[in-house]
Amino acid sequence: MSVLKYVLRRSLYLIPVFFGITLLVFTIERLAGDPVQLYTALNPHINEAQRQALRQYLGLDQPIQNQYFTWLSELFTLNLGYSYSSGLVSTLIVEKVWATLELQLIGLALSLVIAIPIGILSARKRYSLLDVTITNSSLIGTSIPVFFLGVAFILIFGYYLHWFPSGGFQSTIPSQYPYGNVVLDQLWHLVLPSAVYTLALLAPVVLLVRSSMLEVLRQDFILAARASGLSERTVIYKHALRNALIPIVTYVGLYFGGLLAGAPVTETVFNWPGIGAQFVVSTTQLDFPVIQAIVVLITLMTLIANLITDVTYAYIDPRIRLE
Amino acid sequence: MTTTLSPKKRESSRGVSQWALAWRRLKKNKVAIAGLGVVGLFALFAAFDGWPFVLTRNDHGLFAIYPPECIPPACAGGSLSTNAPPSLSHPFGTDSYGYDVYSEIVYGTRAAFVIGLGATGFALAIAVLIGLAAGYFGGWLDNLLMRLTEVFLVIPFFLLLLVFLQIIIKFSPSATGGLWLVVFIIGAFSWPGAARIIRGEVLRVREFEYIAASRQIGASANRILFRHLFPNVLHIIIVLATLQIAASVLTEAAVSFLGFGAPNSYTWGQLMNIAASYINQAWWAITFPAVFLTLFVMGFNLLGNGLRDALDPRLRE
Amino acid sequence: MYTDPILRVEGLRTHFYTFAGVVKAVDGVGLYVNSGETLGLVGESGSGKTVTAQSIMRIVPTPGKIVDGTIEFKGKDLLGLTEAEMRRIRGKEIAYVPQDPTTTLDPVYTVGDQLTEVIMKHQHVSKRYALNKATELLRSVDIADPHIRINQYPHELSGGTKQRIAIARALSCEPSLILADEPTTALDVTIQAQILDLLKALKEKFNIAMVLITHDMGIVADTCDRVTVFYAGQVCETGTTEQVFETPKHPYTEALLSSVPSLALRRQKLSVIPGNVPNLIQPPSGCRFHPRCSYARQICIDKDPELESIGDGRLVHCHRWKELDLKSAVAS
Repeated sequence: MSVLKYVLRRSLYLIPVFFGITLLVFTIERLAGDPVQLYTALNPHINEAQRQALRQYLGLDQPIQNQYFTWLSELFTLNLGYSYSSGLVSTLIVEKVWATLELQLIGLALSLVIAIPIGILSARKRYSLLDVTITNSSLIGTSIPVFFLGVAFILIFGYYLHWFPSGGFQSTIPSQYPYGNVVLDQLWHLVLPSAVYTLALLAPVVLLVRSSMLEVLRQDFILAARASGLSERTVIYKHALRNALIPIVTYVGLYFGGLLAGAPVTETVFNWPGIGAQFVVSTTQLDFPVIQAIVVLITLMTLIANLITDVTYAYIDPRIRLE
Repeated sequence: MTTTLSPKKRESSRGVSQWALAWRRLKKNKVAIAGLGVVGLFALFAAFDGWPFVLTRNDHGLFAIYPPECIPPACAGGSLSTNAPPSLSHPFGTDSYGYDVYSEIVYGTRAAFVIGLGATGFALAIAVLIGLAAGYFGGWLDNLLMRLTEVFLVIPFFLLLLVFLQIIIKFSPSATGGLWLVVFIIGAFSWPGAARIIRGEVLRVREFEYIAASRQIGASANRILFRHLFPNVLHIIIVLATLQIAASVLTEAAVSFLGFGAPNSYTWGQLMNIAASYINQAWWAITFPAVFLTLFVMGFNLLGNGLRDALDPRLRE
Repeated sequence: MYTDPILRVEGLRTHFYTFAGVVKAVDGVGLYVNSGETLGLVGESGSGKTVTAQSIMRIVPTPGKIVDGTIEFKGKDLLGLTEAEMRRIRGKEIAYVPQDPTTTLDPVYTVGDQLTEVIMKHQHVSKRYALNKATELLRSVDIADPHIRINQYPHELSGGTKQRIAIARALSCEPSLILADEPTTALDVTIQAQILDLLKALKEKFNIAMVLITHDMGIVADTCDRVTVFYAGQVCETGTTEQVFETPKHPYTEALLSSVPSLALRRQKLSVIPGNVPNLIQPPSGCRFHPRCSYARQICIDKDPELESIGDGRLVHCHRWKELDLKSAVAS
């Protein structure tokens, strides 16, 4: 079947999953207790009557299933409600989502662009010194926790070498912009965090590309392709690589979901104004509308990433389309 | 006519246990052995208060371990010095409260093992049950469990973890047992990935003919599950456990670093959280815990990867 | 121009450098093929037949290396060519049909794509021309509805069809020599016969020389003009099919022939060659077959025989061929 039909089928499948997740998120939240109570518990100035009024205002006195469906319908109309502290939730998110996406996508793209050729090289020159070096460094690299990289980079390149700013999205004082240019300033701030993201994904992808290529290069059809007189470049990049990409696509899809969920840490380390950092702040305040919205958003992004992964699969490997 | 069967051939017809084979393969993997060494070192560290790296003389000249409630000079001699750089009396310096960073790291090692083993034990117990059940029984049970797993996998569990912890920490009556709560929650969210992998292994092993043969002789499901299936998926469980220990410790560190950790616990994440605001004045207070955390995680990861290669059943000839 | 034989191999040694040691997979192989002729390479699994074919095309996979010998094709020394020159020969002058049809086609590209890429590589023609040619090729190997098949993927086709496609790919640039590695082993018996007939017909129509690797003596008897018997990386003997089958000169050939089960020999026990296939890292001293040979003498343990030419185009690799009077179990 064609790729398009496959995509449609997989998308349909997402819907029940999405509902399951909203249900789960909602349940967990409500299990924690009455939101008003939680939010205002430490504030001695609010009495019970005020709390009750607040509850009514927020619609929390409705039966629980009504609350759930109200929330769902609001979600679908993109009415994300009001944060307890910072105004419209949707405004808040829209302000910050771009910062997060920027980092994630740049990190992903760069690491793939660098890792795939390195992995291929390592596979082609198996057992050579180059291969051994690459493999061992990558093995060690996979074990380094992401935020350690972040902290280390900030210390070294930020504090000691002063090559890059140690955090933030943009310099607070325009006079600090390099060459007085705002865009350059943003790029300058982008370097360290995206370097960390890139490196985090680089090591495991290199290892995966290498092992996948080695697996594929052993296959008969590669031998047959060489026996037909095709150039080495055709054999490797047209035949071997496409077959090798399949497990790589799976892994990158999974890992990307993990990176998304780990955004709070990296963004906090770098003082990066994305939804991850916002999440940390809102959670500290138990600002539920924001919390809900971000969780659902990130889940949605993960689901979309999974869908893209599946679609890429189907495009690369015609055998999958039959399932 | 002369027929020669070399003696070597005869020997190889005796079976060598697969564990011995795996051990041999593991030994050849130098990186994995390094991991094993690191793990061993940490275990020693945790068990013996950092001995033999500790010789307890107090302030002048040799390392000393101060119990966590102890701020000098109230005990063990020495002067109250906050944010002191590394020196002979405080090899990794002191943090903003005046605690000796080295001592804190040692206590953190114990906490790390508690977290790692606790969360992993819990997560894998669930994962094994679900994976075995789904893989073996198949049908609607499998479907149900797998959908459930998928939902869990898509959820950003880290985010929910933060929310949970925040709620509990704000309102829990006392902090004791706080660490166990974190352990429990991490374990409760970490099972899906492992369950899926275990199920995959069960599906693969189930097709082995001797399992079908057992079934035909009428062996009960229980017997098949535990005597036949389980030992064959054991190798993957070991690998998953090792890697999960690293992942759990890392998760807890991230959570604590952001400030959501169990209060009054001495994990490395907590140390980094306290030290983060003083990164300019006292880089050692955040860096050394980070280094130890990294080494710990790396050790288990390298060991886990090495075990995966060594135990891979496809390499068994 | 060149004189026959179209392919001449002498003293070929191909070794694999593995962690366990050096595997001497091919250790002193000599053979020759005349144009338009079919040479059978016969022997047990692991006797070096495939590695020999791969060496001829110089596609021996790592960690293998050709360490010695000459390979002459149409008078040119193939071992002296650069890789680029060799690529011009592969697929165009010498073609290879690998063993297992289910794995010789790339699963992610269509049949048409894989055929046209070879045609376009060697003949520098347009895609449209190549596609037409490919469709014609499929027709010539007896594939029905070639214009549909050409857009299909390998997993949508049967084993027999895939093997025909592999043969079509081999023929696509009109080679002078085809190396067919056990082309029928992975197929059903009924399909086997079809494929063999196809090969015979094509061979005759285009006058292509063929090296047919097989372990099935029946196929050799049916399709091969000449045959070379392999054992443990070496050649035991070479001759026309008739010669080798009726008057074998090497003890291994005799043993092989007598172990072919035959309905005519109803009462006899299935005979088996005693002993095991030798370890190619540490092969037996002298003649590699001596541990299993009923005629072995001291000289066979001490010294490796030469591959001698004994007239009539026959080659034998045995110290005692003159003295031995070997019986063929299948002689008519």
